[in-house]
Amino acid sequence: MDQSHIRNFCIIAHIDHGKSTLADRLIEKCGAVRGSAQAQMLDTMDIERERGITIKMTAVRLNYKAKDGETYELNLIDTPGHVDFTYEVSRSLAACEGALLVVDASQGVEAQTIANASMAMNQNLEIIPVINKIDLPHADIARAKEEIEQAVAIDASDAIPCSAKNGIGIEDILEAVVHRIPAPAGNPNGPLRALIFDSHFDTYQGAVAYVRVKDGSVKPGDKIMMMSTKSKFDVDQVGVFRPQLEVGNMICTGSTGFLTAAMKTIGDAGVGDTVTLADNPAVDPLPGYRAAKPMVFCGLFPSDGEQYEDLRDAIERLKLNDGALSFEPETSAALGFGFRCGFLGLLHMDIARERLEREFGLDLILTAPSVDYIVHRTNGPIEHISNPAEFPNPHEVDLIEEPTVYSTIIVPNEFIGTVMNLCHERRGVYIRTEHPTPQRAILFYKLPLGEILLDFFDRLKSGTRGYASFDYELSDPMASDLVKVDILLNGDPVDALSFIVHRSFAYNRGRAMVEQLKKVVPRQQYEVRVQAAIGAKVIAADSIKPYRKNVIAKCYGGDITRKRKLLEKQKEGKKRMKQIGSVELPQEAFLSVLKVAE
Amino acid sequence: MIAAPVPEWAASKSLSDGIAIYVHIPFCPSKCGYCDFNSYGVSKDGSPGLEENLVARTVQATVADLEQSPFAGVPAKTIFFGGGTPTSLEVDDLTKILETLLKVHPPIEGAEITSEANPGTADASKFSAMRKAGFNRISLGAQSFSSTDLVRLGRIHGADQISAAVECARKAGFDNLNLDLMFGLPHQNLQGWKENLEQALALKPEHLSLYCLTIEPRTAFKRLYDSGKLHLPSDGVQVQMYDAAREFAEQNGYKQYEISNYAKSGYECKHNLEYWMANPYAGYGPGAVGCLPTTAGPCRTTRLLHPRRYCEAIESGGNPCAELEFLTDETVFMERIMLGLRLNQGISMQLLPPSQSVRNGVDRLLERGWATLQNNQLSLTRLGQDFCSEATLLLV
Repeated sequence: MDQSHIRNFCIIAHIDHGKSTLADRLIEKCGAVRGSAQAQMLDTMDIERERGITIKMTAVRLNYKAKDGETYELNLIDTPGHVDFTYEVSRSLAACEGALLVVDASQGVEAQTIANASMAMNQNLEIIPVINKIDLPHADIARAKEEIEQAVAIDASDAIPCSAKNGIGIEDILEAVVHRIPAPAGNPNGPLRALIFDSHFDTYQGAVAYVRVKDGSVKPGDKIMMMSTKSKFDVDQVGVFRPQLEVGNMICTGSTGFLTAAMKTIGDAGVGDTVTLADNPAVDPLPGYRAAKPMVFCGLFPSDGEQYEDLRDAIERLKLNDGALSFEPETSAALGFGFRCGFLGLLHMDIARERLEREFGLDLILTAPSVDYIVHRTNGPIEHISNPAEFPNPHEVDLIEEPTVYSTIIVPNEFIGTVMNLCHERRGVYIRTEHPTPQRAILFYKLPLGEILLDFFDRLKSGTRGYASFDYELSDPMASDLVKVDILLNGDPVDALSFIVHRSFAYNRGRAMVEQLKKVVPRQQYEVRVQAAIGAKVIAADSIKPYRKNVIAKCYGGDITRKRKLLEKQKEGKKRMKQIGSVELPQEAFLSVLKVAE
Repeated sequence: MIAAPVPEWAASKSLSDGIAIYVHIPFCPSKCGYCDFNSYGVSKDGSPGLEENLVARTVQATVADLEQSPFAGVPAKTIFFGGGTPTSLEVDDLTKILETLLKVHPPIEGAEITSEANPGTADASKFSAMRKAGFNRISLGAQSFSSTDLVRLGRIHGADQISAAVECARKAGFDNLNLDLMFGLPHQNLQGWKENLEQALALKPEHLSLYCLTIEPRTAFKRLYDSGKLHLPSDGVQVQMYDAAREFAEQNGYKQYEISNYAKSGYECKHNLEYWMANPYAGYGPGAVGCLPTTAGPCRTTRLLHPRRYCEAIESGGNPCAELEFLTDETVFMERIMLGLRLNQGISMQLLPPSQSVRNGVDRLLERGWATLQNNQLSLTRLGQDFCSEATLLLV
């Protein structure tokens, strides 16, 4: 296909505004039926597996015969849908020339609409606004257009009304893709430059890289080089999804597809990296590459200390197909040997924990998530510290900087006060308010990332009856008066329970932490004193009264199975308990700090 | 329908010595608020949800259940009629089931044959007929001598009916009698409990079962408890009540032999000891549980719980079992420990595998003062009894 007939585009939308339904309709309209195609794909999965490729529908190639009689190659590129993966989204956008901005006709513009649209504008993409769900009774096309113009600042006069569900407006969208989105530029004769915009790991083939070829072309047998790491590989296979997998001869200039090259880990195909040819390398890589940067950190410890080696193996294997995960050994006085792991965000952390437990059969203790602080010590050195346990004593600290985010919150006017209160409670710095329509406001705040980890999103949703939408991007660190709060059980500090907090919140959150521990730590055979302290100064204290007896029910022939099952359940529960000195702590105890901001 | 496991009793020597036989009578004059047993209220003014002839059908079905038993011929070491309220049946029905049972499972010499009875459901003539039919032990569900307690518990009898029932049983010739009492009742205090014990003693039972009230799932008490409307004594007070019970029993010639059971010498409940020693037992009647050896290992069976379903299965010649549970070595071991530690004699150290974790567990028990080790028997101390679940978990 010659370059002038190629279009690379993606669909961006707030969650539930109909992105996947629209994708399905576009695929159908171009003759590939996704529904049955998926069934077919499932049929061919086993074969593909034997051959060593698992399917991830991250980019689909469609052939569209336009009204002008010409056939165009349309590459529809998928974008991840969560703020944790913002960088991955930006790379997917960088692989495109245009984007369909889908807005729900009854909901209007939401936070992710704005965040995604502004990212697309930063990539200089041609943005085609699409007003979806026009069939709904509350659809208000005019208002949606007005919001797009006000909030996203693009011309929405030729926005395309559609109903993906009912197949209305699909052809108009395809025509707009052909005629409004520019054909890819790029030099077919130049040295290869291909952007890796996504990747996944396949047990047999190694890393599978999804690439957008900007200059030159790539084919099986080529010796390629990753420009950031200089590592070299031989290309095994190239191909596309239609949506069925189709192995091809080459990916030419302006087009997208996947390639495999016996890359042993997902890190070999880093998202954002530029692929070039080893013996005819490009001079400059494509712009925008950065190594995955973890933002949220927590300790991962095996409940059973003997599983430490198993945990190491599991994390190493997980790392093979999760390039954004970082880890290093950590030793806790309370929890023994484990790992300090870094994640893109809370969702990413949850996914990783679940995979470690489910796929590798481990029982894990997670410590509360923390962020990466920049600590300026009084005697000079500047360190990055993400583990509260490693925080220096107050008198050794000159200045602490904490990461912040630039956040966008959209709410109906009636909730502006609620949201502002919440943001101020979380030490937010107000930036400005915009009104895309008279009924709704966009609030811009700079917020400490650490405060967002403490159920900010839940509070925001509940405080606005679910109406608020929220998005953020990383901003510059700011200096803050932060202190470490230690938690002592029966007088002994438990390092894994320490947390970092702004000094003005220390008393309240110390108190809340003690309360929360009282709630989640089961009564023990002895009284447990729980204290929160800054340095040597105790700021909150309480105690957990001991229990005096087990439940001793009668036990005859008909009770034995049930009694035994109760014991088995308790035994299972005990496995998840961690013995700290004489005190047994459940997993929830280590996440108590997440509840202290209520 | 679940296929019945093939019995292996012929090959098993233990069965030829006899087994414990349990018969479940799932009917009560009314359902008590704390009770989670398989029982259905059948009052004289009609029975909500139950058809009129269901009791008679259930008696028939239980007789048929016994007659078609794959374990027929295995001697009965002990027999226990429980419920529900066995004495809520007409006496002819009750004795008919016993007669059948004695044919199917010939009792060994001196077999203990118990029926539970509720004060208020048995009179002199019923006790007398039961004694003649072969019952030789009565377990009376007294629960409390305080009328306010009895009302709160939902019992149908008054305090004065307890002594009347005991008197009738004695007159009928029962010289082996148990009283069930509960402590830790709503609003009960230590003094109230001690008064109960005094009143029980005055009736001179051979055996006392003294239980702490437990709040079981799916009971009226559980719903009250969850909504904060059930005011139970604190666990500290419950421990004092337990101490008082033990002290009282010992002072008056009853010896504790199980965590909740006390007896005059020689009057320990032989039937329940079979359970606690993890010996095999058979169960007949709706919801009855048995645990017997099969070619596939020990199998615990539960009969269909609802009398109607049970009757339908038996009448259609089908299998009355709702559930089979084949016990693995691991579960057998866990149950032996769990049950054995309830007994004052404890468990033989030979029962425990020589693993490091078990040895650590024993050490912890001894360190904490929860158990003692004498003549190779590991048994719980008074303190250990309060923590018998924890203690079990240290060993399994």
